[in-house]
Amino acid sequence: MEKVMVVVIGGGATGLGILRDLSMRGVKALLVEKNDLVNGASSRYHGLLHSGGRYAVKDQEAAKECIIENQIMRKIGKSCVEPCGGMFTRLDIDDEAYEELWVKGCADSGIEAKPITLDEAFALEPRLSRKHVKSAYLVPDAAVDGFRMSWQLIDSSKRYGGQLKTYTEVIGFDSVNGELRGVKVRNQFTGEEYEIGCDIAVNAAGGWAAFVGKLAGVEIGVQPDKGTLIAFNQRIVNHVVNRLHKSSDGDIFVPHGSITILGTSSMSVPDPEDTSTSRAEVESLLKIGEQTFEELRDFRILRTFAGSRPLYIPPGGAVGRSASRGFAIVDHERDGLKGFFTIVGGKFTTYRLMAEKMCDQICAKLGNTTPCRTAEEPLVEEVSDSDKARAKKFFPSYGTNLAATRLGVERFKKVVERLESDPESRELVCECENVTRAEVEEICKDDTSFIVNDVRRRTRIGMGTCQGNFCALRAAAVFADMGVESTAKDSLTRLREFLQGRWKGIRPVLLGRTLRETEMTRSIYELSMNVTGGDAQ
Amino acid sequence: MRTSDVIVVGGGLAGLMAAAVSASRKQSVTLLTFGSGSLPLASGAIDFFNADNPEVAIKQLPDTHPYAKIGSKARDGAVKFLCDVAAQANLPYNGRLSAQIPVVTAVGTLKYSALVPESMDASKLAAKQKVFVVEIKGLKDFYASMIVDNLKKYFPAKQFETAKLDLKFLGGRDITCMDAAQLLTDNEQPLANELKALNAGGDDAIILPPIFGIAGNFSRSAVQTQVRAEIFETTCLPPSPPGMRLQRAFMKYLQNNGVKFFENSKVIRGVVEGKTVKGVVVETAVREKTFPARKVILATGGFYSGGLTMREFDKPREPIFDLPVFFPEGADNWSNVQLFGDKPQGFSTTGIFTDDSLRPVDSSGNVLFDNLHVVGANLGGCDKIFERSAGGIAISSAYKAATV
Repeated sequence: MEKVMVVVIGGGATGLGILRDLSMRGVKALLVEKNDLVNGASSRYHGLLHSGGRYAVKDQEAAKECIIENQIMRKIGKSCVEPCGGMFTRLDIDDEAYEELWVKGCADSGIEAKPITLDEAFALEPRLSRKHVKSAYLVPDAAVDGFRMSWQLIDSSKRYGGQLKTYTEVIGFDSVNGELRGVKVRNQFTGEEYEIGCDIAVNAAGGWAAFVGKLAGVEIGVQPDKGTLIAFNQRIVNHVVNRLHKSSDGDIFVPHGSITILGTSSMSVPDPEDTSTSRAEVESLLKIGEQTFEELRDFRILRTFAGSRPLYIPPGGAVGRSASRGFAIVDHERDGLKGFFTIVGGKFTTYRLMAEKMCDQICAKLGNTTPCRTAEEPLVEEVSDSDKARAKKFFPSYGTNLAATRLGVERFKKVVERLESDPESRELVCECENVTRAEVEEICKDDTSFIVNDVRRRTRIGMGTCQGNFCALRAAAVFADMGVESTAKDSLTRLREFLQGRWKGIRPVLLGRTLRETEMTRSIYELSMNVTGGDAQ
Repeated sequence: MRTSDVIVVGGGLAGLMAAAVSASRKQSVTLLTFGSGSLPLASGAIDFFNADNPEVAIKQLPDTHPYAKIGSKARDGAVKFLCDVAAQANLPYNGRLSAQIPVVTAVGTLKYSALVPESMDASKLAAKQKVFVVEIKGLKDFYASMIVDNLKKYFPAKQFETAKLDLKFLGGRDITCMDAAQLLTDNEQPLANELKALNAGGDDAIILPPIFGIAGNFSRSAVQTQVRAEIFETTCLPPSPPGMRLQRAFMKYLQNNGVKFFENSKVIRGVVEGKTVKGVVVETAVREKTFPARKVILATGGFYSGGLTMREFDKPREPIFDLPVFFPEGADNWSNVQLFGDKPQGFSTTGIFTDDSLRPVDSSGNVLFDNLHVVGANLGGCDKIFERSAGGIAISSAYKAATV
């Protein structure tokens, strides 16, 4: 039987942060995830690196944690953070008294909130509503790429011996006399079931934490709280733009590269798997959003998506927006299962701090006294200028830098070698996101690539303007050719599944120019490629 | 400006066909286009309906279906007319309404259409001994091993082989099928020379991406004589050479038959007097210009081409004449959970309803304009992609509108 000291359950930011932290302290750890990495709230969110301003009135402890972690993240995850800055704007319909409370809250939490004139605000954000915006402040918000940060966490963990198994679901726990012995898992593709021996298991399953707890016979108060977001095809804002009012739905805009994300709603749902979105939710977000940006509806919507925040509900606690965005660590020795921990709640911005606190407790149990170093050491080394220069011979420098941060030092080097030795690999599989065939081939070979969507999350193919119209065929073909997993060979199924994944986010926003794109998708894949009628008997 | 007998708005398959048929009947025709039309996106094959015998299946469609308004005479006329136009441009099409012809797609499935360019007609594939699927070095979007893997599901016993030719395309930017077709457009010999090295026999077939030229004198038969095996083209990702060949065939026909065409001409509204359309207004870079006409054929397409728009949910519009647009209301009816499912997509059934002369009607069936006809993708009432009827409806509605 495979044996490690710690099994981490859940491949979101928290779990990955724990894997990295433990690995850096020399603890042999393995992370299991039932799906692909960052498939829950760690990618289905704004991609906002909070300054803490959002919590300055309601929860100053969370606000203070945010501003500290915000500064750390900029340092250790430089290439994942877009330091665009943030703006809080109060509209005519918002409560003026709240503004005073907020200014004081920021000051008390150590968040610099710099008042600016309306002229300055309109110069910085020309699309803001002249009619509604009444006051504005600048704060140190930023945008953060949850996908990229997660792959970098993995790379960092692996360097220190951390291990990872995706599409591996926990189905039970093995204990003797109230002491944990191992975790039982199932491979999602082969159905194979086996046990991984361990001294400690950490339940970092986010919205799924209650289900995992149940398998161990312990009760955990976690309420999945669904948030729906809209991705626009343009950069509507230059800064993170927040509404300066009591936190509510649809009041944050975050710029990412060439797109903008608007969110979010807050709705308690019974099932964390429920990432469905509806026309009604989209309509309500647009209605609120156009109070701040009156021309909002003229921008093309790329897609909508939803994720479930894992809100921690202490016995008798509040739910929904009133629930704390803070986090909790539970040592289940108190429930009679020694060696089992749960960490729940929190937010992406503070994942590192959460991991540190969790690992402090684990290490105390294990008698490991190595201090945490995750706040000091950068996640990845930077790709050298000479490797970038080699790559720039074959594709645009814009694409080079993005690919360098996506791939990290080792994989980038391999991709550059491929570009140099095989001229055909220089072609772009995804023109929207500037992804070369060399990069797709490299990622297809990875042992965490089981379906084309896994390749998408690592390379960004299909995430741009055309939403997979052109790269779906190419990616399915390259994957069938290069993929190491047996799932890769069924190119037609993989192609349809990839486009269906895109469709899920398009369907609730099927209007305007998105309709055009969809007609193009159907025209190519149904009329020209017959991917629906094409399965031979 | 002189009054045209017919103004056609839109340069896609339906618009080109409407202009050509009108011109063939000695009408003075003006064609106004904006953008490239949807033919560069199309496979080049003309689908009529997803059934073994499209002719029979179409006759069983309900009265509300565009085909019911179009009628069998216009469908037969359209098939003959299109084949003539294409043949005049040295672009032979095979097929008839009562049967389907298989075409190999770029993913290795077979697609079935009533009318197929001869170079894509894969009817004889089943009888071939050995099939070569051939990539071209540096040409993207064509993956021989995927095509073979999927074709094997249709022909499990057949012998397949993949090969890669070097036509010296490497070294510059990415080469698409359109680029390759343009590079080979007047000279098939480099391709023939490379293919000879495969040593294919007279009973074999060679499947290639659609690169047999676009406008020039590429001779498929000259290549076949030299390599002995029959050579076929597949469909491809856009831009699609077979679609562009058909577009060029039509353009040539229009030129030869005195059609005036104006590109980059965005029609913004109609000139209307009571129930009569007097002409259309075009927006140019500097001013608006009125084009008078005795008859107007609206071939502006569906959502893809901008013939229909929808800025807000449940409010689709036809932007030129503000015609009533029929659509399935509500989120659940608008689209299916599955992108590729077993039923039509509601949004794709959106469009304009007409009388038997393809004149737009209101919800009570009253004709709105006596001399305005709607053709092609902005006709409502069916999902032309699901049904595989887009091409057939385009050419036969155009034929009908031009001949009523």
